[in-house]
Amino acid sequence: MKIIDTHTHLPGWTFESKPRPISDLRREFETEGLVGAWLFTTDGLIRDTAKNNDILVEAVEGHRDFFVPFGTVNPHDGTESALRELERTKFQLGFKGIKFHPWLQAFSMTHPAILPILSRAGELSMPVVFHDGTPPYSSPLQIAAVAEKVPHTTIILGHAGLDDLYRDAILACKRQPNIHLCLCGPSSGYLREILHNCPVDRLLFGSDGGFGADLIAWRIATVRETGADPETLQKIFYENPLTLISKAGVTQ
Amino acid sequence: MPMRIIDSAVRFSSDVASHTVDTYRQAMASCSIDHAVIAPGDNCVTVYNEEGNVQTAEIIKTHPDLFSGLAVANPWYGPKAVDILKRAFDGGLRGLYLHPLRQGFRLTEGIIDPLIDVCLAYGRAVYSHTGTPIVCEPFQLAELARRFPDVRFVMGHGAYPDFWYDVSSAMTQSPNLYIETSCQVGVVLQQVLDTVGADRVLFGSGFPRSQPGLEIDKIKRLRLNTENLAKVAAENAKRLWGIKR
Repeated sequence: MKIIDTHTHLPGWTFESKPRPISDLRREFETEGLVGAWLFTTDGLIRDTAKNNDILVEAVEGHRDFFVPFGTVNPHDGTESALRELERTKFQLGFKGIKFHPWLQAFSMTHPAILPILSRAGELSMPVVFHDGTPPYSSPLQIAAVAEKVPHTTIILGHAGLDDLYRDAILACKRQPNIHLCLCGPSSGYLREILHNCPVDRLLFGSDGGFGADLIAWRIATVRETGADPETLQKIFYENPLTLISKAGVTQ
Repeated sequence: MPMRIIDSAVRFSSDVASHTVDTYRQAMASCSIDHAVIAPGDNCVTVYNEEGNVQTAEIIKTHPDLFSGLAVANPWYGPKAVDILKRAFDGGLRGLYLHPLRQGFRLTEGIIDPLIDVCLAYGRAVYSHTGTPIVCEPFQLAELARRFPDVRFVMGHGAYPDFWYDVSSAMTQSPNLYIETSCQVGVVLQQVLDTVGADRVLFGSGFPRSQPGLEIDKIKRLRLNTENLAKVAAENAKRLWGIKR
């Protein structure tokens, strides 16, 4: 079964890591069973947003058939500056989506820049992935409260609430048709509950690949352990990620 | 896994679903798990402590070779909780199971002290669900372990999901702190093994939150020599819980 991973990170200097050649990363991901990966900046979530967006675009050069780059913008730069960087990532760098990590980036979902950024991302057909599941900035319902105000923007809860807040993620997904859940994090027993309660067309596979050996294999096994039927797995692992990113103009 | 396996994290009824003993026994057989340490589900953890302990003891009585059990006692019941725990230990349960999120207290609050004193008096270990802020974080359990250096504590589910960066440091801080492996990702468990060794690491499946086969495969992928694999798989749990079989 083909698998597209909608939650991977470009190794950088953050978390005592170090950059790796993109060809090595691709080989590792392919060995783990992936045919494509949405690749997020990691260092850009901590510092030097624009510089790290540039590093990401350079990294995926020659590998756009496999990696779909997602940059970030910093709400603390102010609304105008953040919107300029958002448009630069779209039109100059060719990014297909945006990743936010409110915990690492230290902003609340009520930050005044967030709503304009999300609204513009929707106009640009850029899906927006949020780290979620972590209080005080990244709970599913905090994100859902803003998602409700931008119904034309695709919002992805990048961890489906994790183990502590997955039931809030289910509520958010059922209430907001623009919310998708990336199944990167909840344990297999909780994933079963998510699969039972949420529209399967809005569930995506993700692993946090790039943060350590075996993560991708572990997450694939965790999703398979739910006992979902082959048609459901096909949607989660491949069709849904493909559909979402095709809307953003990528064929994989 | 080539040897004996003891699963230190099983609950037969939790908020995920109600699972019968037979369901888990099927998993035990297919995964070659020899013995499991079981604890009651959430309703018993929070309110029906005595009923949960009695049910657990009955399961063990029916399957003495397969199961050992942990007792529950909500600290908010005060002296009544102390009596419940003593009765459970007198009845053969081998440790105390805490779930601070469900039971409504922080691991750093003194309300738990009378129950830990009972564990100290009986020489029993304490397993706590961990990983949920702001009630059961790794350093909160490590702090409790510092206050009771003669009681052994288990960091349940390896503090998954979001305290991965604290786990090894907390384990270093308190030598009477153990970690149970379910749910936590392999890279974090490897860091613990590389930092404090294999003597305080216990295999757990986290059933039904996670699944035995999945969790055993994860342990197999860790960098463990034969001796340390045996420790993690069973020997540490056997010693900690006093399992004789």
